[in-house]
Amino acid sequence: MSRAVRLIAFFAAALVCLPLILAGLRGLPAFGQHTNPYGDAVNAQGEALRHVTNMVAAVNFDIRGIDTLGEEFILFTAVTGVVMLLRGARGEARSADPSEILHRRREGRSEAVTGLGRWVAPTTLVFGLYVILHGQLTPGGGFQGGVIVAASALLVYFGEGYAAWRLIVHSTALDVLEACGVAIYLVVGLVPLFTGGSYLENVLPLGEVGSMLSGGIIPILNVAVGMAVIGGFCTIALEFLEETRQPKEDDE
Amino acid sequence: MSILPYLVAGWLFLVGLYGIVTSRNYVHAIGCLTVIQSSTYVLLLSVGYRSGLGAPIFSDHPPGPAADPVLQALVLTDIVVGAAVSALLLSLALQLQKKRGSINPDDLQPARD
Repeated sequence: MSRAVRLIAFFAAALVCLPLILAGLRGLPAFGQHTNPYGDAVNAQGEALRHVTNMVAAVNFDIRGIDTLGEEFILFTAVTGVVMLLRGARGEARSADPSEILHRRREGRSEAVTGLGRWVAPTTLVFGLYVILHGQLTPGGGFQGGVIVAASALLVYFGEGYAAWRLIVHSTALDVLEACGVAIYLVVGLVPLFTGGSYLENVLPLGEVGSMLSGGIIPILNVAVGMAVIGGFCTIALEFLEETRQPKEDDE
Repeated sequence: MSILPYLVAGWLFLVGLYGIVTSRNYVHAIGCLTVIQSSTYVLLLSVGYRSGLGAPIFSDHPPGPAADPVLQALVLTDIVVGAAVSALLLSLALQLQKKRGSINPDDLQPARD
């Protein structure tokens, strides 16, 4: 299909769809006036029933827990796909640098970048772990915190360079982390079946509102998701960085 | 009442779609796809918003009316899936460049044995 034909087809389709889109927009609730009985019910009863203060976490890891399991599998499958597509001539030697395959002129790293990285990377790591562990109390959770932890690993790469980054990022460890995260989620969901409950039912003691261990299975699932996200996103970063690197003779 | 948030969502969707239709580069097309996806974030969050009320997080005040947590949870799902799918598509584009030497959709003909 030539470009002109494609554009004509696009505008013709847009003309047909426009009235439908406008009709759909008119059916939406007025902005700021939304009344969803489910959301209101969660807001009204969530803290009393689940002993958590972050209602988004209550929805994600308890009320809609099975959907989040599916979401975690989407992440897992996508990361597996990335690894299968990119894994090829990948070495384990840590001396080589990415970007040499592109013959870029390389500037030395400024001491300011290294110095700042040494402050920022550990702080980001601690912040990410905090966000994962307090997911049921304050904004955050396994997905957000996991991405922050993965970003702290990348900050090590910016500050210290490729060799140091590969010292802390092992692909086997990441695979184990990601697989364990998904497996813990699955197994925690299975436990209630043995006591006559339903899958992913919150059967653990709920604890005290405001405590880090409150919410029964919610903090456990948060940590499981955090593990899977750390493993997944670090793996993606590793695979893409390896693409820019020339494999050496002595590499595996 | 304002319809601006819905218009922003519609605009993001259309501008992303136009970008994909006219794209000459798969990396650019993947960027446009994330623009389309961000229109769904704007739409879901504006549907769930309630005037004058805060976030559905009650760590420092007693529970009461707040924005809709169900829609915010959906947006979280949306963002995670979007990031993972973008990574998958970008690695497909990388493989395409390696195997066929081009990531311009117009240059690519169906593969033949």
